[in-house]
Amino acid sequence: MVPLFVLIPFFSIIILNLFPKKLMQHLSFVWLGFLSLAQVYLVAARPVWFWDTKLELWNLLFSFRYSVDVITLVMLLCIGIVVFISLLASRAMISDVHQRVNFKNLLLVSLIGMNATVLVTDVFSLYVFIEITAVSSYIMIAMNKDRLGLEGAFKYLILSAIATVMMLVAISLLLLLTGNTSFEAVGAGLAGAGNSLFVRVSIGLFLCGLFIKSGLVPFHGWLPDAYSAAPAPASILLAGIVTKVSGVYVLMRLAISVFGLTPSVQALLMFIGAVSIIIGAVAALTQTDFKRMLAYSSISQIGYIILGVGCGTKLALIGAVFHLFNHAIFKSLLFVNAASVEKELGTTDMDKMGGLTQRMPVTGITSVIGLLSTAGIPPLSGFWSKFIIIIALWQAGNFGYAAFALLASIITLAYFLSMQRKVFFGKLRSGLENIKESSMGLIVSQAVLAIITLVVGLIFPLVISWR
Amino acid sequence: MNSQTTISLIIFVPVLLALTLPLAGKISLRLRNILALGLCLVPLLCSLSLIPAALSGKTVTLGRELGLGINFIFTADALAVFVACVSSFISTLIVVYSFGYISHYHNQNEYYSMVVLFLGGMMGLVFAGNLIFLYLFWEITAITSWRLIGFFRDKYVVERADKAFLVTVFGALLMLLGFIRLFQETGSFDLLVIKEVVKTHPISNLTIALILAGILSKSATLPFHTWLPDAGVAPSPVTALLHAAVLVKIGVYVFARIFVATIPLPINWQVIVPVIAGISALVSAGAALIETDLKRIIAYSTISQIGFIFLGFSFGNSIGVAGALLYILMHGLAKAGLFLCAGIVEQNTKTKDITKLGGLIKTMPVTAMAFLLCSFSVMGIPPFGGFFATFMVMTGAVTSGHIIISMVFLVGAFMTIMYLFRTFNMVFLGEPKAALVKEGSFVMVATVAVFAALSLLGGILIWWPDALAQAATLQMLGTIR
Repeated sequence: MVPLFVLIPFFSIIILNLFPKKLMQHLSFVWLGFLSLAQVYLVAARPVWFWDTKLELWNLLFSFRYSVDVITLVMLLCIGIVVFISLLASRAMISDVHQRVNFKNLLLVSLIGMNATVLVTDVFSLYVFIEITAVSSYIMIAMNKDRLGLEGAFKYLILSAIATVMMLVAISLLLLLTGNTSFEAVGAGLAGAGNSLFVRVSIGLFLCGLFIKSGLVPFHGWLPDAYSAAPAPASILLAGIVTKVSGVYVLMRLAISVFGLTPSVQALLMFIGAVSIIIGAVAALTQTDFKRMLAYSSISQIGYIILGVGCGTKLALIGAVFHLFNHAIFKSLLFVNAASVEKELGTTDMDKMGGLTQRMPVTGITSVIGLLSTAGIPPLSGFWSKFIIIIALWQAGNFGYAAFALLASIITLAYFLSMQRKVFFGKLRSGLENIKESSMGLIVSQAVLAIITLVVGLIFPLVISWR
Repeated sequence: MNSQTTISLIIFVPVLLALTLPLAGKISLRLRNILALGLCLVPLLCSLSLIPAALSGKTVTLGRELGLGINFIFTADALAVFVACVSSFISTLIVVYSFGYISHYHNQNEYYSMVVLFLGGMMGLVFAGNLIFLYLFWEITAITSWRLIGFFRDKYVVERADKAFLVTVFGALLMLLGFIRLFQETGSFDLLVIKEVVKTHPISNLTIALILAGILSKSATLPFHTWLPDAGVAPSPVTALLHAAVLVKIGVYVFARIFVATIPLPINWQVIVPVIAGISALVSAGAALIETDLKRIIAYSTISQIGFIFLGFSFGNSIGVAGALLYILMHGLAKAGLFLCAGIVEQNTKTKDITKLGGLIKTMPVTAMAFLLCSFSVMGIPPFGGFFATFMVMTGAVTSGHIIISMVFLVGAFMTIMYLFRTFNMVFLGEPKAALVKEGSFVMVATVAVFAALSLLGGILIWWPDALAQAATLQMLGTIR
């Protein structure tokens, strides 16, 4: 019954929109909440009746080939969690009824796109679902129709279009070369084709497209604009999961099961990862906008994941997937913190804030947990995943990268401490005396994400051995 | 109750229950204070109950395998028990003092919660038998001290808290890199396994240097010392707890744990470490001589005294190591006393500048006497506890044949006497420069009196702590040489 991950959201869009908007906004809130939590439950508990039953009727109608492995499961889990958090945030942050309904529809489209992206087993379907996800994100970013939002969406659209062209060309080259688009066939074809220029061009184009989608340096220009201009629930979704699925996951999947990790691909990935780590972190140091800073921090953290993928040993991949999961959790947490500050203060400019922990204790405390996890300070979850990546790099003989990745954590800590100093930790800035803790939905999401970060950090051995 | 349960109680009671303190504070302040005291007493009493086993040379281990070389192991040998007793005892007294000092500030709930969590982190670090868990608890203490230093929330206060956090975390990351190298060289993060392996495989110099960088940053030794005087902006009980009694001892403890008890320090490092410590001791003593901020003077004094502890540990001979252990105890007691006296002075006169103070002995006799007694102990005047510790450390250095280094430290000890007398003179003697103020509250004065009395008693009854220190030394050195 695995295709239901895609089918149910698909039919939900059609059915829910038949209701009048007033009714639909509540109905879809409940339904989307149920869907995302059900997804979390199905992945976490893995009931046999769901995963082992085949949908015979469905297979007669369409052919939807999918495969499920640990990486897929982790991704499905992250998607479920982040969609749920984004939904809660949308209830708190979007006041207009029409916008709420629109957002929920887009969330459903995004859910279809992401779930399908992590399940499919051929490069062309992969491309189609990446595009579905991307289209919903463009609209989400521009949803408020303000200047910055439109600019962010436009940048994302243009750069994504370039990525699309690159990926499509690569796919057609691969089709020419191997006569097929399924992962296995393309992988086998590439293995037989040797190291010709043709192969290198097609792999290179595909990788570049994915670098754009993941927002890796030097293709990161769109990411800070898109993240910071998007409405809060959309930036949670984008930063937490969309770019991870359509960029990092696909990169990981293709690198492992299609292209194979050749030494040159490994070297390229590790180099790009390391450059992203440092440039993202240094750029984050200078930001004064809360969400922009988080966006640069995202670039830096994706760098760690790519570094792990590039290393390519089993331990490194475990670390990369674990870091991907952790990143989805703590980056969503930090974006929810930003959202709740934005909701109460009406701005994301950090220079206008100060001492907010006194007025917003939950937001303040959870932001500390989020930042310490991002900076890789034990005992939080981010430490373990970063540490596994570093150990793996070390064991594989990449001492320079390992030391670099470890010491770059200090820059992460530095920019987050400056964020804390400006926003939460300090004397309350005058004029902010009447600020209240933000609404229940945001408080709950912050608390849930912070608890996940803390608990995963404490029981990490169980998490690593989870299959 | 068996010893394994005792160790779990020591570590997990404060770590886990610290987070309930803010909730208790919502219900009633008295309940929270009692609970905080209770959470400090549990590790204290449990650590004390481990002393008989430690004296008889037994080692209690608690652990389970986790894979990846990261095994969850806690060991209670004499060294661990000694340091655990010292730090939990001093922390408990400081919490009592806080009841008076902190009672009229904001964020008290966070304060108590962080202090108890800090103690828990310290206990975990002391008993950790695996380098990764040692690092984990090390960072817990860093997080809590960041919050505690930033207690007053002013912009410059938070900046300095950030500085302390960044410096110590940077050192810790270097140390973690050293641990990873150690893992590569020995194949394990477990100290007992490493101990066996290094008997045949020497450890590379870079690894030692990296680990040492972490230790020096935490113990605020040159060149990573600048965060410590700056962190004096914290409330006085915090400075006493973190920067005199407990936090800076973490670095020293880890040095003893790794470079005395596990990996014998190679012969070239036996010169390098005392030289760094000696420079650190002299430079900071010099700084203390010209400084005019009361708390900064005591902070520089701490940096200087830490050098003596490193000196004792670095040669690995029994009298020096035992002396260094006693130094940890005596310095903790005396320095906590000094910081807390400074706290009383600061809170009542609203200034930390010693040039604006004077003649306070007339109105604050108990505080003044306590300050003087603690100073005597830090200076190393017999029969105070500090004398025996200093004497043993110096003897250890001399018997190892490092006469010049010993002379340097002797100069340091002399400078200690100078700056402490100068401070006492300017603050408590002479003509009053401002309106005289009254003595601090009863709890606070009583606490400093206890610290002063213990500094004296520690010297008179030196054989009690010495028995445990000797047992620890025997255990640490016995199996190696």
